[in-house]
Amino acid sequence: MAGQREHWGSKLGVILAVAGSAVGLGNFLRYPAKMALNGGGAFMIPYLVALVLLGIPLMWMEWTLGRMGGQRGFGTATSIFASVTRNSMTARILGAIGILGPFIILVYYTFIESWTLAYAYFAFTGKLNTVTDQAGMKSFLSGFQGLAQNDHFSGIGVAYTFFLITFALNFYFIYRGIQGGIEKLSKIGMPILIILAVLLVARTLSLGAPDPAQPDLSIANALNFIYTPDLSSLANARVWLEAAGQIFFTLSIGMGVIIAYASYLKKDDDVVLSGLSAASTNEVCEVILGGSVVIPAAFVFLGAAGTLEVAKSGIFNIGFVTMPLIFGKIPLGALFAGLWFLLLFIAGITSSVSMIQPAMAFLEDELKVDRKKATGILGIVAFLACQPAIFFLGHGFVDELDFWGGTVFLVLFATVETIIFGWVIGIDKAWEEMHQGADIRIPGVYKFIIKYVTPLYLFAILGAWSYQQFIPTILMEGVAEADKPYIWGARLLVFGGLALVIALTVYAAKRIKTPPGGAA
Amino acid sequence: MNTEAIIFMALSWGSIITLFIFSYYRMFRKK
Repeated sequence: MAGQREHWGSKLGVILAVAGSAVGLGNFLRYPAKMALNGGGAFMIPYLVALVLLGIPLMWMEWTLGRMGGQRGFGTATSIFASVTRNSMTARILGAIGILGPFIILVYYTFIESWTLAYAYFAFTGKLNTVTDQAGMKSFLSGFQGLAQNDHFSGIGVAYTFFLITFALNFYFIYRGIQGGIEKLSKIGMPILIILAVLLVARTLSLGAPDPAQPDLSIANALNFIYTPDLSSLANARVWLEAAGQIFFTLSIGMGVIIAYASYLKKDDDVVLSGLSAASTNEVCEVILGGSVVIPAAFVFLGAAGTLEVAKSGIFNIGFVTMPLIFGKIPLGALFAGLWFLLLFIAGITSSVSMIQPAMAFLEDELKVDRKKATGILGIVAFLACQPAIFFLGHGFVDELDFWGGTVFLVLFATVETIIFGWVIGIDKAWEEMHQGADIRIPGVYKFIIKYVTPLYLFAILGAWSYQQFIPTILMEGVAEADKPYIWGARLLVFGGLALVIALTVYAAKRIKTPPGGAA
Repeated sequence: MNTEAIIFMALSWGSIITLFIFSYYRMFRKK
């Protein structure tokens, strides 16, 4: 069975694919805003602590679990969790989150990704340049999204066309398979993404003080603004929670996608150095490249107060309202705006294809559906599921999907896999498994970190976050009455989807014989 | 730039770049 599965063509290919999955819109939009709002330079302390104690250990765990699954012929957490827990049905069902979670994110992410492609087109063709103020740019965005009819757009037709193109591109790469699709996309897309990001960083950092009347609004002062630490923020639990959350989202951990990608490794392929390389690539794209565009550019044109306001306004506003306006103020602005949105599109597509792969692996490996049929089935299901996200955008539908797929399931899944890895498989056996074919040895202290610190860190996040967000969101606090049916609709989609995946998982479990025991 | 900002920028960029160079150097280095 394992022999029929595909494998990655090269070590660099899988590293770039995992890095491509991790580097997404959040690296360039979410991270800089979080940093600006949570203590500036001081934010880097909880951020780096979370990287070392949470991000990198989870990266290694998922790479290892994925490779273990691949040896047994599986690419999804359902069978992998079952195979290391003596076929426990509970573990298998919990593994279903690793298939549904990324698929839910895909449902809204593809639409947002399509905006970046559309905005790149608008920038290169000069349509975006015609808008010069904030109100105009907001109106442009809401017209494009189909939330309002105005001078810019008469309906959702243009946005829908770009959605169809983006959706088709995603499924084209999935249809082409691991080597011919995802690996090729990552090997071409990631270098282009890095070149574009370097170009934009160079342009931003060479802005100097663009307004001679306001010499204080300079890049040097922008970097002061970003990196001067507010050490008092370290006493605030929220800052630590935000930093841990950012590490979580940025590395694509807790989703099931790294497990799916790593399942296409060969038995003796390294996972330790590869996982570290993928994580470090993502961090360069986040801390160094992502941190050097939005906030410095906003600072030199809007000042400190204006920049904080932008950071608070959310990623849609930063990406699709503020940044085009800022690019409009610099020479060759249309070109740089086009490159900015192209960069976001590449970051988006290398992430969104990874969100489809766990479901593809499930259909192919466990339900024995061939790739062509699996692509067709998933394409139809995803296309139908995307429709409410597109047409109910203004009613909290996407926020609700993001709450479940992008937050609850991530933390829950990561907690389950950490317990399975460090406690069910057992740290000694897991350690041995991690080091099979490894190019480097992990420092021994990580045995302790993986067994005790990472799970405790996750429990602390779960607890603090449940207290702050879970209960108010479940109770729909602050939601307008008119939007509540849409929120219930989103919940129906999430839990209907979960019931379907669990039913298929149970059905598949009866058809396949999973080898019991720990390591392959 | 003030000293504190320089220190924090150098520490955060330095740690990430060190991790990046270490991982790719070890990967491409002949065993």
